Amino acid sequence: MIGTVIISLMVASLSGWFSQLNDQLLLGINSIAGRWWLFDSIVGFFLNNDLAKAGVIGGCFLAAWYGGKSIESTSARRKILITTLVAAVFVITTTKVLSKAIFLPRPEIQTQKIYRLEDDQLVEMKRMPVRTMLDDDSQKDHRALLSGDIDSNDLGSFPSDHAGFFIAISLGIFLASRRLGLLALGWSILVILGGKLISGQHTPLDIAAGATVAIAELALIQYVVRKGFRGWLDNLTGLTLRYSALSSAIVFLIAFEMSSTMIHIRAFLGFLSVMRRHVLLGMGS
Amino acid sequence: MNVKAIIMKKFTTIAFALFACAFLTSCGVKKEGLVIMTDQSYKATMFATNKIGIGSPDGLLWHKGKLYFADEGGVALESWNRNEGLKKLVDAGFGFQSPEDLVIDAQDNIFFTDDDAGGLWELSAGGQPRKVAGSDKGLISTEGIALAPDGALLVGDGEQHKVFRVTREGQVSDFLGTEYGITKPESMVFDDRGNLYIADNEDNVLYLLDANRKLHRIIDRKDSFSPETIYFARGSLYITDSHNGKLYVYTPGEELKTIAAFGGQLKNVQGVTVDDAGNIFVSVQADLKRKVGDVIEISREGTEVAQR
Repeated sequence: MIGTVIISLMVASLSGWFSQLNDQLLLGINSIAGRWWLFDSIVGFFLNNDLAKAGVIGGCFLAAWYGGKSIESTSARRKILITTLVAAVFVITTTKVLSKAIFLPRPEIQTQKIYRLEDDQLVEMKRMPVRTMLDDDSQKDHRALLSGDIDSNDLGSFPSDHAGFFIAISLGIFLASRRLGLLALGWSILVILGGKLISGQHTPLDIAAGATVAIAELALIQYVVRKGFRGWLDNLTGLTLRYSALSSAIVFLIAFEMSSTMIHIRAFLGFLSVMRRHVLLGMGS
Repeated sequence: MNVKAIIMKKFTTIAFALFACAFLTSCGVKKEGLVIMTDQSYKATMFATNKIGIGSPDGLLWHKGKLYFADEGGVALESWNRNEGLKKLVDAGFGFQSPEDLVIDAQDNIFFTDDDAGGLWELSAGGQPRKVAGSDKGLISTEGIALAPDGALLVGDGEQHKVFRVTREGQVSDFLGTEYGITKPESMVFDDRGNLYIADNEDNVLYLLDANRKLHRIIDRKDSFSPETIYFARGSLYITDSHNGKLYVYTPGEELKTIAAFGGQLKNVQGVTVDDAGNIFVSVQADLKRKVGDVIEISREGTEVAQR
């Protein structure tokens, strides 16, 4: 009994310490925002422009796909990259499901007065004094926030799906090619995720959680595929070599979607969902 | 190894992978909810939960010191006040299925609609329930309800895309036919000048029918606005939006203003009413099938929270 109480107290104290550290780290990184328009505009550009943000990752993926010096090494790289793509789908699903279930608003939203449901009571959350960037898009979003236009996506920032997706892909590239992987990882961490922290869209904890999901699921899927589906993976890799024109087209599409954080696929799935409702279930006008 | 064994092995591996991913996806996750105050002068308090005995209320109405619930999940009409607590006024045994919205006249007679069983229902001030007019008189799926100045009741029907006028004797006639183009009159309320506001949450439009029976589209922002329930008090219209999880206030001549945004388990905001002190009450259907619902009080900072 006493042991349980002591452990509970230690866990509570540790989680409090982590939470404080998380806030301090975020506010420290975010403190450079909202001071220089030019700096904020550059950070904002790399956050909002898909080509600038993720084009490098897509490029690294393509380079790793085609960069083998022999048939064997190309084949080995492609096996890793195919498995990475499967893992990335799982990672994005996991992070999306988690962020829908855990309602932790983005730090920039936490500048507002928020009540959180705890044991049937509404408890006011601590406000985060996050600075707003001075670029046009950030200012527009901030004005929208003040007038109550809050995107439901902004209510679930934990874990970061960007961190999950880009870390999974970059790690996969790293497993296939060290040099390209380092470039992809560096770009993901410094440009993509760094921008998310500076702008106050995510806390370090959101990013760390997303990265943890990515590492865990990438390792798991790599293990499962190699153990249970080696034959299928060999066949699929062989097909990409035999039908190189077709596989190039498919890989281009994948890299294209990867560079745009799969927004077109998500839009397409949304379209299918609407079609299902209207055509099959006969709902709507 | 035969084919069956190979297939079994593959299935086991797939099952293991799916289980592991599902575990990573769901471990330690519980449903949570948030209320974000866009208007900082307000605060939010949990006014009532299932613990006081409500199911999953839809329509709410503050009347003479009591809060009335059209409890869709609990299939009952209930009232609450500080002294009596929660009181069940009439339940499903009388024949209705999904109490939707309600109004109360000056004599304390309660009228309510039912979007499943249809019809207009009454609970008299003396506690006698009766069906004023049923689906046999054309009221198939009744939604919004408003008390007309002449004492008749206006009832919106989502299936027939009409607003009906129903007398106390149960005579039903068209008030606004399909030619007005209102798809789902989900909620209706008169303002202090005799204008009728109509919320259509299918087409996502807020209409105003003026004294000359001319219909105006007051708010028409399909992408971000879907009026669920409207309530007029103190010169302003309070609007819930269950699609976007918002509580708005609209004052004629001014911009639509968001008071609060709701997320997670609290997103599905339904009914809204305002008490004599200006406190706003919003019902939330967290899970209608499981009869989980709440009532949240939104009040000005510095005011006392009503006693539960």
